[in-house]
Amino acid sequence: MSENVITIKNLVKFFDGRCVLDGINLNVPCGCIYGLLGRNGAGKTTIIRILLGLEPPTRGQTFMLDAESTELSAKIRGRIGCVSEGHNLIQNYKVGRLIQLCKDLSLQWNDEFFEHLIETFRLPMDRRVKELSMGMRAQLNLALAMAIDPELLILDDPTLGLDTVARRQFIELAIDIIQKQGRTILFSSHILSDVERIADRIGILAAGKLIVDCPLEELKERVKKLRVIFPESAPQSLYLTEIVNQKIDGRELVMTVANWNDRKQTILETFKPSSCTEIPMSLEDIFIECTRPNPKVAEC
Amino acid sequence: MFTLIKREMLDHAVYFLGAVIFSTLFVLISIPTILHYDPREPEIYAMGIGIPAIIILIICFCAMGASQMYNDRNKKISAFLTTLPVTRNKILLARIITGTLAILIFFLPLIITSSILLRLSAPPIPIYSGMIFEISTATFLMAFACYCIGLQTGWSQNRITPTLGGLALSAILVPLIIIKGFGLEISVILVLFIIACLIRIRHTFTTTPL
Repeated sequence: MSENVITIKNLVKFFDGRCVLDGINLNVPCGCIYGLLGRNGAGKTTIIRILLGLEPPTRGQTFMLDAESTELSAKIRGRIGCVSEGHNLIQNYKVGRLIQLCKDLSLQWNDEFFEHLIETFRLPMDRRVKELSMGMRAQLNLALAMAIDPELLILDDPTLGLDTVARRQFIELAIDIIQKQGRTILFSSHILSDVERIADRIGILAAGKLIVDCPLEELKERVKKLRVIFPESAPQSLYLTEIVNQKIDGRELVMTVANWNDRKQTILETFKPSSCTEIPMSLEDIFIECTRPNPKVAEC
Repeated sequence: MFTLIKREMLDHAVYFLGAVIFSTLFVLISIPTILHYDPREPEIYAMGIGIPAIIILIICFCAMGASQMYNDRNKKISAFLTTLPVTRNKILLARIITGTLAILIFFLPLIITSSILLRLSAPPIPIYSGMIFEISTATFLMAFACYCIGLQTGWSQNRITPTLGGLALSAILVPLIIIKGFGLEISVILVLFIIACLIRIRHTFTTTPL
């Protein structure tokens, strides 16, 4: 098996003539916890659906566990756990029947772990799936995905609809999976604190392009937000490459720059600023800066 | 595969129940009809049993196919199943096997009863060799073709093509049955239609976004 569990090559997707994904290239290595971020409609779910073979790509190829997504065999599918957005379970089934169906169709089933999850989530077996709350459906979906002990876990906004306690339980479960060697997780979420807690690599989608794809620590290291004060008004002619955003207010210049390095520092110093301080950025701050309309450059 | 077939059968139990009920009903009707068969008035039997049976066949099996596919599309069943170790081809195959089972449940008792009664009845009915086989094969294929049209209609958002296909098939089959009766020609046309339908269904089912 190659070292990448997920490979996406020049993926393009059009919906009704509108380009949703524009030449995405992405590799998720074995054992990686990859957090896929993007605003609503950025194309996160489309990527996941194409990976799972639920949606055909317009151009390009996607591979999971060395098999092309459009030709995933049952055996390969049995090694992949999936929690889809909106939790598309069979709504008119009773929970018990749905569990039995999944169990019968699965190649492997960890009964002990599944029972533990069901008890933790306190899921009622005799109720129909459509009668469950959104949070309970999410928990059931998660438990079903985890029970097969997957090599690759794909989570599309899995904590959507979960309360704080259930969300914490989910994160702990995810960490539990991470601790098992060789497990890979691809997940998209809007709750960036969750992503920040467990992801070790981040991809940010904006305007159909993957504008960030690097390890979380590297991202934090490379994207800097600086407050620069000048003796007189801030220069309009200050030009640095890869400025994500900048705001000038009198003597103050606040700018976010990607790939901050000594060369850029030297260029800035030629304008003789009175002070230059770094504003600490969380993943959420970086995400907001990168996904603002028309960010200049934010590639790592 | 067995799990998928079982799931389809349980989800569409009403059609199996219907097949059993209608089959029993037709068996009960066919017993006095064949025993008191009057060869001078064959049209009474054709009007009394044949035509209602064919109408029921067309409606029920077409409805079953359409319901299987429509429910799947509407409730996103395949979208969920394909996240499990199941391929779309397997889902479709299980569905078609289930439909075939329902058709057999309807036909087998009827064919067996008719065969026995036709041989027992006196005076002997002028049947040519293989008549039961030819009629059974043609009606089974007709039911299966209707089921295929249902599958196509239930999955496709375009209702016109399957409807036109069904109409074209009826336009060819009805005159053929009237002129030549049930025979090899009918079976060949039906087999060709079924093959074309199945290829089309497989293509649309495996390529449509779920």
